[in-house]
Amino acid sequence: MQRRPFLIAGALAPLAPLAPLAGLVPLSAHAAATVGQPAPDFTLMDTAGKPVKLSDFKGRPVVLEWTNPGCPFVKKQYQGNMQSLQKDAASKNIAWLAINSTAESSPDHLTPARLGQWMAEQKAAPTATLMDESGKTGEAYAARVTPHMYIVNAQGVLVYAGGIDSIASARVEDIAKAVPYIQQAMAEIAAGKPLSQTTTRPYGCTIKYKGSAA
Amino acid sequence: MPDLRPIPTSAVPAAPAGWRRAMHALLAMAALAAGLAAAQGLPPAPAPGGLSLPGLAAAGGSRVVSPTVVESPQARAELLVHAPSGARPGARVQAGLQISHAPEWHTYWKNAGDSGLPTELQWSLPPGVSASPIDWPTPRKFPIGNLANYGYDGTVLLPVTLTIGPEFQGDAIDIGLQASWLVCRRECIPEEGRFQLRLPVDGSAAGAGAAFDAARQARPADRPAGSSQLQPDDTALKVVLDGLPPSLRGQRLEFFPETPGVIEPGAAWTQAWDGERWTASIPLSPHRSDSPAEMALVVAQADAPGKGPGLPGVRMEVPVQGSWPAPAPLPAAVSPALQAALDANAARAAAATASPASNLTFGAALLGALIGGLILNLMPCVFPVLAIKVMGFTRPGTGASGHRAQGLAYTAGVVLSFLALGALLLTLRAAGEQLGWGFQLQSPAVVASLAVLFTLIGLNLAGLFEFGSVLPSSVASLQARHPTGDAFLTGVLATAVASPCTAPFMGASLGLAIALPAWQALTIFAVLGLGMALPYLAASWAPALARALPRPGPWMERFRQFMAFPMFATVVWLLWVLGQQTGIDGAAALLMLLVVLALLVWTLKLQGRSRLVLGGLSLAGLLWLGVSVGPGVVRPVDDAPAAGVAQAGGWEAWTPELQAQRLAEGRPVFVDFTAAWCVTCQFNKRTTLADASLLADMAGKNMALMRADWTRRDPAVTQALAGLGRNGVPVYAIYKNGQAPVVLSEVLSVEEVRAALAPL
Repeated sequence: MQRRPFLIAGALAPLAPLAPLAGLVPLSAHAAATVGQPAPDFTLMDTAGKPVKLSDFKGRPVVLEWTNPGCPFVKKQYQGNMQSLQKDAASKNIAWLAINSTAESSPDHLTPARLGQWMAEQKAAPTATLMDESGKTGEAYAARVTPHMYIVNAQGVLVYAGGIDSIASARVEDIAKAVPYIQQAMAEIAAGKPLSQTTTRPYGCTIKYKGSAA
Repeated sequence: MPDLRPIPTSAVPAAPAGWRRAMHALLAMAALAAGLAAAQGLPPAPAPGGLSLPGLAAAGGSRVVSPTVVESPQARAELLVHAPSGARPGARVQAGLQISHAPEWHTYWKNAGDSGLPTELQWSLPPGVSASPIDWPTPRKFPIGNLANYGYDGTVLLPVTLTIGPEFQGDAIDIGLQASWLVCRRECIPEEGRFQLRLPVDGSAAGAGAAFDAARQARPADRPAGSSQLQPDDTALKVVLDGLPPSLRGQRLEFFPETPGVIEPGAAWTQAWDGERWTASIPLSPHRSDSPAEMALVVAQADAPGKGPGLPGVRMEVPVQGSWPAPAPLPAAVSPALQAALDANAARAAAATASPASNLTFGAALLGALIGGLILNLMPCVFPVLAIKVMGFTRPGTGASGHRAQGLAYTAGVVLSFLALGALLLTLRAAGEQLGWGFQLQSPAVVASLAVLFTLIGLNLAGLFEFGSVLPSSVASLQARHPTGDAFLTGVLATAVASPCTAPFMGASLGLAIALPAWQALTIFAVLGLGMALPYLAASWAPALARALPRPGPWMERFRQFMAFPMFATVVWLLWVLGQQTGIDGAAALLMLLVVLALLVWTLKLQGRSRLVLGGLSLAGLLWLGVSVGPGVVRPVDDAPAAGVAQAGGWEAWTPELQAQRLAEGRPVFVDFTAAWCVTCQFNKRTTLADASLLADMAGKNMALMRADWTRRDPAVTQALAGLGRNGVPVYAIYKNGQAPVVLSEVLSVEEVRAALAPL
């Protein structure tokens, strides 16, 4: 019987199970939320200081609205349109979270009390108004402007990311002429139909993230 | 915001030139007065969002200074016209809006970038006169943290060309302009203005010549695309531009796409010059909504000094090669009521699968593991190893005690390897990895390495080379002096190769094992190893077997060479698995590597110079191949069929959404969880699952047939398997709305499937 080769082969064999380890190192780089993927969970404080989690609303669709009262485009929507969308959502059992990612150092920054007061003055009706001063949640969703709108379905998957409507301007009269993306999307969700628009161009003022002040 | 209607041309009576000029002056003064009067009523700070101003049209805190100038603390906008030779029919004149920004403020380009709005010009012109679109000067980039915008600061003129057609009549052109622009520093203020200017046909308006010249110089030069191209991959846009002017070569450039929403303006990107060709890789926007076939873009020198437009650049319309990455498919929309029903069903199913697992007592699981291990010995990957080992008993000079020691060493090798693999699996599962049993073979690199290993073993068995001539004699004698160590390592090898072949009885045991406390799980793995080592152990302990084997002779050599063939058969199987993962090119590349490897190994048998020359050549060839086609061997090819596309025989590619959809349609669903490297799966696929009468029965029940491919570690499949209490393949499950899923056995028979179909 000739020398068997198994010494060398056997020496190599233990390495075989280890090889897939290289491919199994989980990627730590975090990619922004994309439509079709599960929406990243977050925990933020509302204007009264209570913590609110996105996963609290599992089982209901959720609309995320990035807002900043100092921005003329947000003001344009709060001339009545945003409030009516928020009420429409409530009637369809869709949760609405207004999120403000303005950093504390920005001149646009409002304290939680002041933001809550502004929302009340505007007769806004979100389920909760959340403070994201660190900007982490905004960055997790790659939110760039205010208003920037996202919709998460009842199973926690992001199904819409983009603008509130189709005409990028600061004129209130353009709201009536534009395609109302969010209104359409909410009607389609309530009817169990697939969304006709899943990604559109958002427009508005840049979000004043922490570290972005010139 | 009320706008003042422009003074209609017809309402102004024609008057002699002098009167006309006086009239204009009066009107200007009246406008100024009105503007100033309105300004008195202004609140102290300009409020964003627009003010309602009586008097002439302005917005956002701007005030009208003259019919052609609107000014705010942030920006001064003026309507300019350049008509040095008058404005007769058939002529072209230049008009435009000049914006002078306050320091730190800017307005936007045609593509504003991450936020902002481009300046808009709406012309009101008499019939016969038309305006071209804005001839945008080269922009600048304004980064803000992770975001960026494109626009202008300082002073910029946005010119258009007015073409006076032959049908125009009159002696003056009343040019009206409604402009809106967004001026931003960190905050943004939308501003608007209405401008008016009367241009006599015969006169000459050349005062703004310098500004229009500067604007023309600042516009990007049009260049043909030539061989430039854009190619999107999964995350970035690869740009290759050819034919850029020499003034730009070697410079750091800025990239301005005219199409918004495609790339990420603020993300870090790379660029390089390759002679005359400029290349760049720019991250795509995660919320990209456009997939254009061609993109117009401007490139210019980066970091232009000063203010105003950027340094003059180049504009090209470049075609896009290849296809844009597809967005992730959305989950099928299910109405809330149906979703509630599906959730309830899933909860019930989870509760149901928990009970069969507990029915399988620990002892039964151990028994199943033992039998499974025994059956593993029959797999073609393991059998040659076992056979050669058993043959070793015929070697003279090893006594019964030597045999027993080798038997124990082999068993130790196998059991310890199974324990190690089990521990690795449990650790990685605890760390959150989506793994199941057989996970080693989900990586093309592992498959390729195993193929190389088996080829070498096969070539050795066939007699192409001997290890004695390859190794230094010290190592070879080591092998001879420590047959027990050799046996131990053989056990390890056998385990590495056997683990992916899931045999019957093993599936439930392993699925249970993962859920148990660690010590119980590891015991099951150890017993599995024991089962696999048992035949050899028994052979080594029974001296009767050694005596029963025929005496050494030439038949041993023939038997050894014969064993090479199951080894090569295993290599073919591994190549087939690799082909599923990296495509036919990857598999062919590996085959070529194996051929050259065999050549190299053969040359080692030679002597003297021929050994040196041929050995050197084959080694060089092997290295060259490794570098040139090597990467193709391990690069996975993504050719998973699209969800919902029917494959041969009516099988659809499984996705959770498609399954939900079929269930929602009221159809039962048969899911075949399979993988390319799973021999049992392939066996069932070609026998039971291809049986025509069975498929007809399934069609009679309107059953949806789905195949869940786990060859490439799909996490959705791993999750579905876990939901059934399994973590390996094959698994055959029948789902129906309102019932718990039925899991069939791993070696599928037609009768078993028919029996499961009956109650549906």
